[in-house]
Amino acid sequence: MRVPAAGWIAIAGLALAAVPFFHPPAFYESFLYLVFYWIVLATSWNILSGYSGYFSFGHGAFFGAGLYTTATLAGTLEVPFLWTLPAAAAVAALLGLGIGAVVFRAGRLRGELFALLTLAVTFVVANVVLNTRIDGGQGVNLGGVPLPKIMSSPSSTFYVLALVLAIATVWIAYAIYHAKLGTGLFAIHDDEDVAEVMGVPTFRYKLAALGVSCALAGVAGGIHAMFISYVTVGETFSIIVPLTVVLMSVLGGTRHWLGPAIGATVITGLLYAFTARDYAIAGRAAVGLILIVVILFMPGGILGRLASRPPRRSGPAATPSAVSAPPAPAASQGEKLLEVSALSKSFKGLQALDGVDLEVLRGEILGLVGPNGSGKSTLINLVSGHYRSDSGRMVFEGRDLTRLEAHRIARSGIARTYQIPRPFSHLSVLQNVVLPAMFGRERLGRAAAEREALTWLEFTGLAGKAEDLPDALNLHQRKFLELARALASRPKLLLLDEVLSGLTPSEMDGAIRTIRAIRDQGATIVFVEHVMRAVMELTDRIVVLNNGRVIAEGTPVEAMRRPEVVTAYLGKAHA
Amino acid sequence: MLELDRIRVCHGAATALWDVSIRIGAGELVCVVGPNGAGKTTLIEAIAGLNSIASGRLSLEGRDLTRLAKSEFCDQGIAIVPEGRRLFTGLTVLENLELGSYRKTARANRRESLDRVFTLFPVLKARLTAPAGTLSGGQQQMLAIGRALMARPRYLLLDEPSLGLAPAVVMEMFSAIQGINRAGMAVLLVEQNVAMALDIAARAYVLEEGRIAAEGSPRELLAAPHIRRAYLGESE
Repeated sequence: MRVPAAGWIAIAGLALAAVPFFHPPAFYESFLYLVFYWIVLATSWNILSGYSGYFSFGHGAFFGAGLYTTATLAGTLEVPFLWTLPAAAAVAALLGLGIGAVVFRAGRLRGELFALLTLAVTFVVANVVLNTRIDGGQGVNLGGVPLPKIMSSPSSTFYVLALVLAIATVWIAYAIYHAKLGTGLFAIHDDEDVAEVMGVPTFRYKLAALGVSCALAGVAGGIHAMFISYVTVGETFSIIVPLTVVLMSVLGGTRHWLGPAIGATVITGLLYAFTARDYAIAGRAAVGLILIVVILFMPGGILGRLASRPPRRSGPAATPSAVSAPPAPAASQGEKLLEVSALSKSFKGLQALDGVDLEVLRGEILGLVGPNGSGKSTLINLVSGHYRSDSGRMVFEGRDLTRLEAHRIARSGIARTYQIPRPFSHLSVLQNVVLPAMFGRERLGRAAAEREALTWLEFTGLAGKAEDLPDALNLHQRKFLELARALASRPKLLLLDEVLSGLTPSEMDGAIRTIRAIRDQGATIVFVEHVMRAVMELTDRIVVLNNGRVIAEGTPVEAMRRPEVVTAYLGKAHA
Repeated sequence: MLELDRIRVCHGAATALWDVSIRIGAGELVCVVGPNGAGKTTLIEAIAGLNSIASGRLSLEGRDLTRLAKSEFCDQGIAIVPEGRRLFTGLTVLENLELGSYRKTARANRRESLDRVFTLFPVLKARLTAPAGTLSGGQQQMLAIGRALMARPRYLLLDEPSLGLAPAVVMEMFSAIQGINRAGMAVLLVEQNVAMALDIAARAYVLEEGRIAAEGSPRELLAAPHIRRAYLGESE
């Protein structure tokens, strides 16, 4: 019988809780306190930075905010110590949420910019604390604050407090990892734009992760204020905290909920083993060397291998039936599903779309053709919410999409593929398809989403690759992975951006049958393609774009004969 | 002559190419066709030194290139235009071209190479300072070819140059490739647009599941009914 990981966390917690009853020397309790303290800081950092890939160097700021909250409340205002901890969590979380609300809104602040910005926040907070009455430059002495007698000795009390917090933190990291939030965060890590277009509310998710991360760091700061009993700005806001948590998490493995805890234990242990004696400096160098070697040979961290393996499915593997579930009920055909009017978009002076009007009727395959750079992909990017339009309107089933966030557009039943496939590179092929099933129109639970995903992998012929990473797929298979992902959200409107390019003619035959089968199940399709044979065979109607404008519209045969289409698009040989 | 003698290439545990032998004569235009996943890209990348060769021999005019370092290949006169173009999209057109002539000998002839590229693709000259990412698909493909030509190769490897291009641009692209070849450049062309590729090629290989399934002149290959069916999509 396998014990679930949550069970192991509880067992470990209970076993460790028994330690003080054996009355070990206070020294050991203090050492274990430090282990727990670092587990909390590293694990909480990882909830945002490891899961979502938003690398933060600002953990010291949130930790420090909690620390000084407790120092101020308990030391200066004489609030009982335990009561200051929720306040420490709240202040740190509010600081984080405030920063997140601004930074995440700005959108393009990722990677090194985010890391530097969070580091800068640390210095700002440090300066505010230093130059106000919060600290005033002399530090805050908590020596006189009474410590609640939870255990018989102060060291046992700190031990238990830190243990409870560490267990809670690891459990929260575990729960988020397995929850919808975790799935969304890992998708954000790989490709945030695609995640949003597939229905993940990225702004809210990042904010939630940051809030939880900061609150936990805040509590750790609160407890630590009492532990060290004399707090100074220099110690609190130094670069040590952010650097150490990053190292610990990377060492343990940022893609696993337990990775940072392992890393924290190993590094704290190593630091103790090598630096507690006389040769402290050499010891530190040795620790550094060990870290370099480990990171060189285990780039994914100690748990990297474990995390790169997709999580095993619980319960019996779903047996995909033949595709029977229609993506959407084939309601009254012929009515307007999507109406686009006077839509315009320009990029740095280049007018990509210039007042485009078009409508998509329910149940049809509308071909969208035109030269490279004529605005076809831009149109798809606007309808799917990837870009915002400059002007014009888009109405889908009577609902105005124009100012809607991309994840809401996805939920309302629009799915797309990318011309250059953009799979989530660290998720298995199956998980790539599970994501839109969980976040798209139907918003299925995980088990149902996995069944749905398997069905569509079967449909696109990728079932044999379900457990592989997208890296293992060739271009043809990646294009079909795009298709499977779009279908898994059971869209009412499917936007296909060149899914057929790069196929051999005989492969094309199969693909054309596949797309017909999708339409027969009731989906409406907007089909961007240069392969004329597929356009002529599949589409009911086509719209021809050139320089961001509609130059022709009608049945494929009729529109392709127009002289302006021949000149702009087909070239002389087709005339 | 560029010659591959029983080349084997593995991706981890999987063998992608099984003892593939092909040759490209000086100034010849050879194309490789085959279904997706047959190993065409693997093959072209192996010739450009991007995939390591597990066994067999790759030689150019008698010189053994099998174990040559990646960065040395362009000095040998082999240049690749990779699938999906892989331009430096944030850099300008000119910077992309200059990076194509990064090695010493190519750099010495940069002026002249640039002129040649601009004669071939005048549109690139007009957009010299535009970031490569802002070009249209067809222009990007021209830039990718131009960048490869800047290395002054004698053997040009093209991986699906017509991918994702509008019909009119596809025609332009094929006639440009034909022009490059007529000027004396040997070309190895991997294409899904089989009809047009066979139209301009002197010889062709059919690659299936990592093995050479057929070779010959386009006329010979097109005479085989199963090849017509599989690669031209003609139903009986």
